[in-house]
Amino acid sequence: MLLAQVLLNGLLLGGLYALMALGLALVWGVLNIVNLSHGAFIMLGAYATYFLFAKAHLDPFLALPFAALALFMLGYAVQRGILNLVIRGPMFNTLLITFGLEVVITFLAQFFFSADFRTINPGYAGTNFDVGGLTIPRIQLMAFAIAIGLTLGLWAFLLHSRPGRSIRAVSQNLLAAQLYGIEPRRIYAITFGLGTAMAGVAGGLYGTVSQINPYIGTALTAKSFVIAIIGGLDNPLGVIVGGLFLGLAESLTALYIGPTYTDVASFGILVLVLIVKPTGLLGRTA
Amino acid sequence: MVRTLLFLALLALASAGWAESPITLGASVQLTGPVANTGRYYKDAYEFAIDRINAAGGVKIGGTSRKLALKLLDNQSDVNLSVRQYVQLLSEDKVDLLLGPFASNFVLADSAISEKYQVPMVQGGGASDQIYSRGYHYIFGTLPPASNYFGTTIEALSKLSPKPAKVALLYADDAFDVAVAKGAREQLAHAGFNTAIDERYTSNTSDFTSLLSRIKSSNTEVVLVAGHETEALNFIRQAKSLGVSPKLYSFTVGVPSADFRQALGSDANYAAGMTAWLPHKSLKDHWFGDAEQFAKAYQAKYGYEPDYHAASGVATVEAMVKAIEAANSVDPRKVRDALAHVNFSSAYGQVAFGPTGQISLPQTMIQVQNGKVVAIYGPSGALGKLQYPMPAWGKR
Repeated sequence: MLLAQVLLNGLLLGGLYALMALGLALVWGVLNIVNLSHGAFIMLGAYATYFLFAKAHLDPFLALPFAALALFMLGYAVQRGILNLVIRGPMFNTLLITFGLEVVITFLAQFFFSADFRTINPGYAGTNFDVGGLTIPRIQLMAFAIAIGLTLGLWAFLLHSRPGRSIRAVSQNLLAAQLYGIEPRRIYAITFGLGTAMAGVAGGLYGTVSQINPYIGTALTAKSFVIAIIGGLDNPLGVIVGGLFLGLAESLTALYIGPTYTDVASFGILVLVLIVKPTGLLGRTA
Repeated sequence: MVRTLLFLALLALASAGWAESPITLGASVQLTGPVANTGRYYKDAYEFAIDRINAAGGVKIGGTSRKLALKLLDNQSDVNLSVRQYVQLLSEDKVDLLLGPFASNFVLADSAISEKYQVPMVQGGGASDQIYSRGYHYIFGTLPPASNYFGTTIEALSKLSPKPAKVALLYADDAFDVAVAKGAREQLAHAGFNTAIDERYTSNTSDFTSLLSRIKSSNTEVVLVAGHETEALNFIRQAKSLGVSPKLYSFTVGVPSADFRQALGSDANYAAGMTAWLPHKSLKDHWFGDAEQFAKAYQAKYGYEPDYHAASGVATVEAMVKAIEAANSVDPRKVRDALAHVNFSSAYGQVAFGPTGQISLPQTMIQVQNGKVVAIYGPSGALGKLQYPMPAWGKR
């Protein structure tokens, strides 16, 4: 019974992990930018949802689309105004710039929001129901459903919609895409905006299950990075696999080996995946 | 004639003013970064104490009064940076004496600098016993030993009937929390408790679901958590969402601070903790009158209730002033010797340092009841009624 409950906890955690990593993997796969400020965008999404909830008294789940929209516009502007300047540069430059962005965003967040801890705590937060002796936390389940839904939605969008196909075309063969009349700068900005919008939603959900402060970003970037590597960058389903895998691995490590070793486990898995299957569990290309 | 006299008088006044340059206290605290939330209490406390002492005439040395000044640097919650900043404070800024940063791991590293330069540091942010186990002479601390944080809590628990059958001890893997757990483990064994779960977890972890499920399935009745405030918040929120309600849980940090109760709302109720300080009238202070007046004035100025961090920070400044006046000098070595002998009552409590440099103050067990911090058990026995067992989440 304990094992079943821990597995369930791990799965629910993994769903949220997957959504966190989704935006990072998308931007990385298409733009070849490892966005080190990804966690900072998650943090901003968490604050956006928090303020909509606490000041405008909007249900946090209804606030998510607004947070996503705000983060999309911010991401679009950041890509258009800043990252497009260095997108042809060596990878080191984009790493530096996104790292700088992270520092700036975090500083501004502390300046405007203070270092106080916040939680998104609607009346039904923390409620749960029992199924066959297992306790299922309601909000975690909703967060899980949204995470999986968005990941599948993104997959369908990339495969079947016109802008989605443009994004894939740009990432697969830039020259051919340009010959077909695709404007890569716009596609890049849309992709980055989508990535930050996903981060925004992940942040809002994170705030409903955990706590928010301006410094949560760095650890979340690292986690997203691990998941993206484990799952592979080829398609969003890989990120689900990576997220669930990591969530389960952490929960089981905490149960059987000890909670002080969860980070050792997740980075150990990262190293193993890089050795055994460097393209990620579901990846085909390097 | 009158003019000449006036001129001479002015000259004398001016030169007196110039000669008495302020005594500069240097400190590096966490104004930004992950621990900024608690770090700023020290900034506020230092400034609050120094302003009050200056307004009351400053520090008296050899019959004249000198003002205090503060040189404060932001270590961005980075231990290595804080070490460099203390070197900078002593070698470039030439501050006279040192105040401390927040948190045991910072004090552990930074006290090596005060020792090397032989300039005393009085710090109110690090409680780990490790700080004082190295034979250092220039470090003094106003937080009582970490190993005794759960002392009064365990004493209160052993008075319960029926006695809790199973206790869990969870702690983060840093200097302070490991020291807390080490002390609590011995005290639990001594009081005859069965510590069913004794687990160390990664600092800053945000996921307690595995531990909580273990606590639930093993019917552990009392959970003691030595960790950071973010961890306490996550622990309580996840306990609620998994329907885990032991009969009591207690946290080393967070519970006394207003911020904690604000973040959790009514979910903060029943959480127990401890504090070395409660703003009580009986704590008399030379500059602030008493602890109650101190707390009021502090809240009026900064807009939040001071907790023991702030009071401890104020006590470090007061201890420094008392020592300077006793030594009648700002010479670091003389002040150090005077610090070893200070003994005065303050808004924080009786301040006197033991042979290792650490204060000895009892912890008072507290519990959040209806959004208010209530004292439950102190060194002299029960102070209030513990709400025990904690009701299940669905029945609140």
